[in-house]
Amino acid sequence: MTDDDARWIARARAGEAAAFRHLVDANGAALFRVCARITGDRALAEDAVQEALLNAFRHLADFDGRSALSTWLYRIAVNAALAQVRKRRDLEVAWPQGDGDAAMPFDAADQSPTPDREAMSSEIRRDVEAELARMSPIERAAFVLRHQEGRSLEEICAVLSINVSSAKQAIFRAVRKLRAALEAPGELA
Amino acid sequence: MNPITDDDLVLYRYRDGLDAARIEQIAAALAESPALRERYAAIERAIAHFDSQEIEPDPDIGARLWRRLSPQLEEAGVVASSSPGMLERLRAWLTPPQARFAFALAATVLVAIGVGFVVGRQTVTAPPPQMVASNEVDAAAAARVLEAYVAANLRATEGVLLTASNSGDASLLEGNRELAQSLVESNRLYALAATRAGNTQLATFLRQLEPVLLSLANQPGTATIQSSEDLRHFLDSTDLLFQVRTIEARLDRTGKRRAANDGDSRI
Repeated sequence: MTDDDARWIARARAGEAAAFRHLVDANGAALFRVCARITGDRALAEDAVQEALLNAFRHLADFDGRSALSTWLYRIAVNAALAQVRKRRDLEVAWPQGDGDAAMPFDAADQSPTPDREAMSSEIRRDVEAELARMSPIERAAFVLRHQEGRSLEEICAVLSINVSSAKQAIFRAVRKLRAALEAPGELA
Repeated sequence: MNPITDDDLVLYRYRDGLDAARIEQIAAALAESPALRERYAAIERAIAHFDSQEIEPDPDIGARLWRRLSPQLEEAGVVASSSPGMLERLRAWLTPPQARFAFALAATVLVAIGVGFVVGRQTVTAPPPQMVASNEVDAAAAARVLEAYVAANLRATEGVLLTASNSGDASLLEGNRELAQSLVESNRLYALAATRAGNTQLATFLRQLEPVLLSLANQPGTATIQSSEDLRHFLDSTDLLFQVRTIEARLDRTGKRRAANDGDSRI
């Protein structure tokens, strides 16, 4: 924990609104990014960040200072994002579901934007979104943390409270589902 | 050598979850085998598509989160209620006891002057009946003039607040104090004028500004970094700057609308 963190935390623990506001400004955007990557939805991400910060601030006394404040908030935010995705799935209003049989071949080497190709590109995007929707919250979170957040497998395990083998399997499944959206049936190994 | 699976290639991509020997094996195999390279490229392409899903935060994400969080934190008893705390925070910001005394004295004198001003105006200058009609005709124009002056005053107030909270330059702060002194008087007069015009919301807001301007006008000559920081915290916690800007913009808009309407009615 940095001295700056410690100073703001002390003020926040004393109930100073300005200190909480500072912590929101300092961490809000970064937390939103990771929540948006996990939820794939702006509104859900913002709800997750708000929930996470409220939860964190209410339990600020529990923060032991062994890690950076941003790391502690990050962990809470990732789990809040997972909870938002699960809640949304329970309500069956998650991302749109594709039929899974409409995957189109994709040639990455030739992407000139002709009308046909643009149509194909939007179709592929829909397929990718459908595959992303099929990822379980843990698969998506593990993949986001590894690929976009650059977290190591050990860190992913700590954040998601799973073991290394489960983290690896979650990432493998996420990548397979992404490939399924982009490759013709039968091409998958 | 163990066969290289797609899962191995995923781990290889991130150089994570594989020992150094396995990483070397895969690197060598990739250099030798076009088929393996194609499998690796397919994984890269799939992963690259995920990056196109990026959602960037709005620039005002912090302010929006705070607007939602602040009442929840108050409700949960994590922070003190902000509305009654404004003057308390200002009081805390006025740390030197002599400044507190000067503030109290100046506030008392101004309140006395203000009461005398209002009472004097009411008893001496009651308009004769024949002037009422022309006063009503000019009411819109008078309101427009008042709004324009108040907007200009708020712009100057905003500048004073920003300079006081961000500048460490002694000569700049000295000039800022003088400007704050002049704004105290005009701010008080505009508050009275707004009350007389029936705009109680604006009058209340301007009255809230007065103690802030007074304390800036009476700031010690050697303002410290700490005092600037305290002012920044005070401004953050009360959203005072935001309110000043909002009301300033609203007055500008109303003024333009009134001017347009006046132009239409003259045609």
